[in-house]
Amino acid sequence: MLDYLLQQLIFALAIGAIYGLIALGYTMVYGVMRLINFAHGEFFMLGPYVYTFIFSGFIGLGGLAPALDSVIAIVASFVIVGLLGVAIERFAYRPLRAYGRLAPMLSALGMSIVLQSAVRVTIGPQPEHFPAIVPSQPIAALGGMVTTVQLGILAAAILLMVGMALFVNGTRLGIWIRAASESWTTSSLLGIRVNRAVSLVFFIGPGLGAMAGIMYASYYGIMQPTMGSVIGLKAFTAAILGGIGSIPGAMLGGFLLGAIETLGTAFLPLISGGLIGTEYRDVFAFAVLILILLFKPAGLLGETVSEETTVAKKDY
Amino acid sequence: MKKLEKNFTKMLLGWEFRATTLDNERGIFMNRTRVLLSAVALLLATGAMPAAADDIVLGGSAPMSGAQAEFGQSQIDGAQLYFDQLNEKGGIKGNKVVFRALDDRADPRQGTLVAQQFCDDNAVIGVIGHMNSGVTMPALDIYSECGMPQVVPATNPELMRMGFKTVVRPVANDFVQGALPAKYVTEKLGLKKAVLVHDKTVFGQGIAGVFKDNFEAGGGTVAGTFGANPEDVDFSALIASIKLQNPDVVYMGAGMPQLALFLKQMREQGLKAQFIGPDIGFTVDFITQVGAASAEGALMTFQLPPYDSSPELKDFAERHQARFGRAPGPYASLGFANAQVMAAAVEKAETLDREGVLAQLHGVTVDTLLGPVAFDDNGENTTAPMYLYVVKDGKFELVKE
Repeated sequence: MLDYLLQQLIFALAIGAIYGLIALGYTMVYGVMRLINFAHGEFFMLGPYVYTFIFSGFIGLGGLAPALDSVIAIVASFVIVGLLGVAIERFAYRPLRAYGRLAPMLSALGMSIVLQSAVRVTIGPQPEHFPAIVPSQPIAALGGMVTTVQLGILAAAILLMVGMALFVNGTRLGIWIRAASESWTTSSLLGIRVNRAVSLVFFIGPGLGAMAGIMYASYYGIMQPTMGSVIGLKAFTAAILGGIGSIPGAMLGGFLLGAIETLGTAFLPLISGGLIGTEYRDVFAFAVLILILLFKPAGLLGETVSEETTVAKKDY
Repeated sequence: MKKLEKNFTKMLLGWEFRATTLDNERGIFMNRTRVLLSAVALLLATGAMPAAADDIVLGGSAPMSGAQAEFGQSQIDGAQLYFDQLNEKGGIKGNKVVFRALDDRADPRQGTLVAQQFCDDNAVIGVIGHMNSGVTMPALDIYSECGMPQVVPATNPELMRMGFKTVVRPVANDFVQGALPAKYVTEKLGLKKAVLVHDKTVFGQGIAGVFKDNFEAGGGTVAGTFGANPEDVDFSALIASIKLQNPDVVYMGAGMPQLALFLKQMREQGLKAQFIGPDIGFTVDFITQVGAASAEGALMTFQLPPYDSSPELKDFAERHQARFGRAPGPYASLGFANAQVMAAAVEKAETLDREGVLAQLHGVTVDTLLGPVAFDDNGENTTAPMYLYVVKDGKFELVKE
């Protein structure tokens, strides 16, 4: 039984890491702009498509060593999707800033539809095969089994998360972001270029989303234009669970949601003696979510303040 | 667009009517105007595709865009091929057949719109469609109300049990599809312990249930039934818990890419059980997405024989290649056979209208490309075949009985 639990925890960690990475994008944008970026799931979807485009382009040109090609394609996907994020903020969100919160949010919803339809029309709606970046090898560990792909995802996600935390807390640019999230007016009085901080956030968030997308496609072996919708909603949930606006909260929320889902599937039928089947997984997961929010309305690591929002992010 | 034309026609006819009552005495002049107006109205009503007065217009509908376009388009192509052939030989009773295909996008809402469009066009005297059970079900009502003879390619058993008298189905339903692999694994392979997975849809849950009944009737036991969401991609937790049951057989009633994702993750976790899936998985994508090595040995049911299994089918494949410049898709031969059934009913009809065709539809017996077709009281084919395929060396191969 312990083996079984450990095995399930490995699965939970892999999917939780992906949720966490996407949740980071939601939470950073919310932290600085108080905007829920509904287009974020589409950056996640664009990641593997851009990667495939660049990678096959390299192969077409002759290519270097396969491993090097992959690395270059991954970095390039981060940069391209990140720049797309910056451009979308500049042209679709910034002009609407003066018109309250609803207008940019609607604009975000619109961008989501535009991006998804663009891929659907140009590349096609069918799921495409995505070859694993790291060959999938099962390794026996702790009485369970873990694949090299799962290990790779976990390692890369943790690396990105730690790097993210160091960047925000330890660099000058990080100070811009933290200051802008505290107060735009005050930070601009102190000489911080708030718009640059916003652009920075819109570079890193979508870039991280693209990374999560590549990991996800590599893990399951497919990519499709709609893949961002469902998982985007899940990651958004994870961001709220951890306390939206809080970076450690997003990571915690991601892992927690992964764990609740996996353990729901694994143990609901066992505990109830087959009465409650695995089809109740989402019911269980969201019931837990509601329960947590009843007791901690600002999420696990969010802080309640009486200011314009009920949620703030002091954990930057 | 169609709607606009209709309104415009109505407007013109209304004007014509008012003009006649007001200017009755002007006689000859008004009459000429009226003829002119009616001609314009008629032209507008028949729309972009002006069919000659004595052409036989038949409708066809399937998903021709979207994720299932490969399946849908193949059906339309197959039917088109048969009608082309018919027209070369002089059509039906000397009338040319015009096949009008519309895209339903595998979407029930779009399907009902298409049905309404066919119903509103009085020239259409028969419809072949739709491909998806979920699209066909709401459309049945509309077709039946306007007395439209309908040949149905969708496979849900319920469709023929809803009491509609306007439909026939040459293809085997899901009762046959679930029963065949259950019989095969219990009798031929001697596997006795199964686990069922379904995606909670009408199709997936339904066919898993049919498999279960037949598997248990064959002496097997079902160790568990597991539900997942139709758009799930991560089955790892589910598979780990299935492993605890240690089954010989895993039957999965779901769509694509879920069938492929599930099998891939199942093999990654080292679960060796025999995998069986329904017709949706019968596509090359299934094998590429799973990977040829992991897909090896997977069983899949499909309603049609391979294109090299008989001289007629080989000939069909060649003509398809010549006509469209590509090999026939998965459902092309079914589209062809459905067109044969519809054409036979039109051929026997005493009058070339919906009532005439409908009167002959149920009694029709045809020797189609896929074998003899005759219908029972419900409109089901009495001898509809079903085929079992196994993945071997990265290809689907027919399992010989």
